[in-house]
Amino acid sequence: MKKTVKLLIVGLLSLLVFVITSSDVDAAPTPNYIITTDATYPPFDFQDKNNQYTGIDQEILKTIAKRQGFTYTLKPMSFNAATQSVSSGQADGVIAGMSITEERKAVFDFGTPYYRSGIGWAVKKGSNIKSLDDLKGQTVALKTGTSGADYALSVQKKYGFKVTYFNDSDTLYNDVINGNSQATFGDLPVIQYAVKNGTQLKVMNSKSPIQAGWYGFGVQKGKNTKLLTAFNRGFAEIKKDGTYDKIVAKYLGASATKFTGSKQDNSSVLGILKANNGAFLKGLWQTMLLTILAIILASIWGILLGVMGVSQNALFRGISTTIIYIFRGLPLMVLAFFIYIGLPGVIGMKIPAFTAGLLTLVLNEGAYTAAFVRGGFAAVDSGQMEASRSLGLSYAKSMRKVIVPQGLKIMIPSFINQFIITLKDTSILSAIGILELTQTGSLIVSRNSQGFRVWAIVAVIYLIVITLLTWLSNWVEKRTRA
Amino acid sequence: MSETKNKVKVHVEKVNKSYGENHVLRDISLDIAENEVVVMIGPSGSGKSTFLRMLNQLETPDNGTIVVDGFDISEKTTDINKVRENIGMVFQNFNLFNNYTVLENIMLAPVELGKLDKVAAEKKARELLETVDLVDKADVSVNSLSGGQKQRIAIARALAMEPDVMLFDEPTSALDPEMVGDVLEVMKNLAESGMTMIIVTHEMGFAKQVADRVVFFESGKIQESGTPDQVFNAPKNERLQEFLSKVMHA
Ligand SMILES: Nc1ncnc2c1ncn2[C@@H]1O[C@H](COP(=O)(O)OP(=O)(O)OP(=O)(O)O)[C@@H](O)[C@H]1O
Ligand SMILES: [Mg+2]
Repeated sequence: MKKTVKLLIVGLLSLLVFVITSSDVDAAPTPNYIITTDATYPPFDFQDKNNQYTGIDQEILKTIAKRQGFTYTLKPMSFNAATQSVSSGQADGVIAGMSITEERKAVFDFGTPYYRSGIGWAVKKGSNIKSLDDLKGQTVALKTGTSGADYALSVQKKYGFKVTYFNDSDTLYNDVINGNSQATFGDLPVIQYAVKNGTQLKVMNSKSPIQAGWYGFGVQKGKNTKLLTAFNRGFAEIKKDGTYDKIVAKYLGASATKFTGSKQDNSSVLGILKANNGAFLKGLWQTMLLTILAIILASIWGILLGVMGVSQNALFRGISTTIIYIFRGLPLMVLAFFIYIGLPGVIGMKIPAFTAGLLTLVLNEGAYTAAFVRGGFAAVDSGQMEASRSLGLSYAKSMRKVIVPQGLKIMIPSFINQFIITLKDTSILSAIGILELTQTGSLIVSRNSQGFRVWAIVAVIYLIVITLLTWLSNWVEKRTRA
Repeated sequence: MSETKNKVKVHVEKVNKSYGENHVLRDISLDIAENEVVVMIGPSGSGKSTFLRMLNQLETPDNGTIVVDGFDISEKTTDINKVRENIGMVFQNFNLFNNYTVLENIMLAPVELGKLDKVAAEKKARELLETVDLVDKADVSVNSLSGGQKQRIAIARALAMEPDVMLFDEPTSALDPEMVGDVLEVMKNLAESGMTMIIVTHEMGFAKQVADRVVFFESGKIQESGTPDQVFNAPKNERLQEFLSKVMHA
């Protein structure tokens, strides 16, 4: 029994080493750049129905790379992580529908502006609304928290329309199409892309975006001039020979095509599952791998810290208390960004997202584990230690043979609880682009706009895994009690 | 570490101990001979437990000398774990290991400290269970035992290391009255077998019967010591007289 546990730990540790070293291999020698993006922003960056990253940005980048003779590894993550990775030197470039602003120019060097974007407005096809003035007394549908909504509110008085809010674009568009509301405001290319995908709307200002601004490809300021030069050279070329226009037309042109799978695939849970089962399985596997490794390593680390926390040595106790204090106090996401984005600048070494995520979990969950481990050991009656010492057993032996087994028993419910929290916390790591279950869900939703159905699927998968984990834990608990 | 066979098992010289402002032991000196049974009495808070726990280094004295079985345990270089193997201790609250069965409790130290192999340790444990009259409890969990049974197992556990000296800190104080007799019986047998014993107790009858010497503690000092007859029947110290009149009429 003891042997199998040892074997299991050794096996998992070697798996971890394998994971770390194998993901290191990505960092190939000659100009292979690391480019970050936020793949939840169609039509610029998203996953198509075959889970390939695509969109205007991605096609531009791919074409330029091919022609200019450089290769790159794409790292999709949240928009903030994508930009910060580059500004901190963790990645070489970012292409993510990023507007060029004065603020960003302070941290990035931008390539030639490649797309002029802004706010657009649209009405139902065949509507007799011709200008903003016609909106008087009408209802405008807005998506909460978008710049389109902000703009609409700023001109609401001037044009005298009413507003209604939606959380999800599909429902919003349908509201306009069904005539409940008469118009909508949003990112111009996003609306154009919806039209391209068959939404029966008419864009009123395709040529003249409101509050227009340019998108740019960014590298860390003062660094990577070679990459930037190559991008600019390549961009001039595709602009000149018409490739650029073709790419844009492919996503935003008037004729409708489907990038996102057929309607049938997207309108039922079963269809979504079928169309994406590979992606869900991969996401689930990443979630499981992260969870299992984190549970094991955080438990080992937490027990170690907890034992230090009840040590006779004041220095050890101090170290333990400090580490617990720091890593329990830091929000998981901050820690993840710090390790993934901040740390490489300090240690001068790139850290793969999975390793950074695992380290984050181990430090955070380990600190929580240490706190209840310390409490559990302290809860063992002090007479137990005295009796053991009085027999001649050393402190270490007394801990191992008497205190730890009793303390662990007290802690079992806390451990089970912590395991479940760890599983849930893996979802936060989607922010640094680990393609686990939640990030998989985000990518699929951004592609098919089926938020409710996709998140319901993701939620059910989590619940199933948590149920299995709870059963397993309870089974182990029963075994140890016997 | 001279093996002076002068029959002094425990030698305590000018020991002091304070907890902050509280001066708990004041200049205590005491010698205990091999095979001697010493009973310590005194009011609550007088320092009896502190003194006893100092003999196996569960408390460290501020100064003074303590030599047990030829080992100067106030010396930093002494391996205290080795010395403790030779000093058994029995606690008021038993302190049996909750994560082990009765047999495992008794076997733990001899096996872990390499004194006996598993087979020999089990044989020894079963013999000890016989001497404390609890053979049928070998494989039960310690939590299912009564207080009196627990304390007898605790004595057996201490004896498994074959110590030369046994310390008892109020071994019967946590017991229901009807359990006290069984435990005292075991201790009496142990005394008769020649064990060197230092016992803190409020059982005056037992002290009279078994003690070679009775030591009266008060305010961190040994106020009087002598044979049971001297101490109980002809106490000279005023505080001892006062103490005795209280406990005897209680
Ligand atoms: N760890 C400790 N920290 C601080 N003070 C202590 C500690 N242990 C004992 N004391 C104090 O030392 C004094 C002597 O305590 P001790 O336990 O030796 O008395 P005792 O004679 O055994 O009393 P009782 O009959 O109640 O067991 C008491 O005033 C007690 O409060
Ligand atoms: Mg006491």
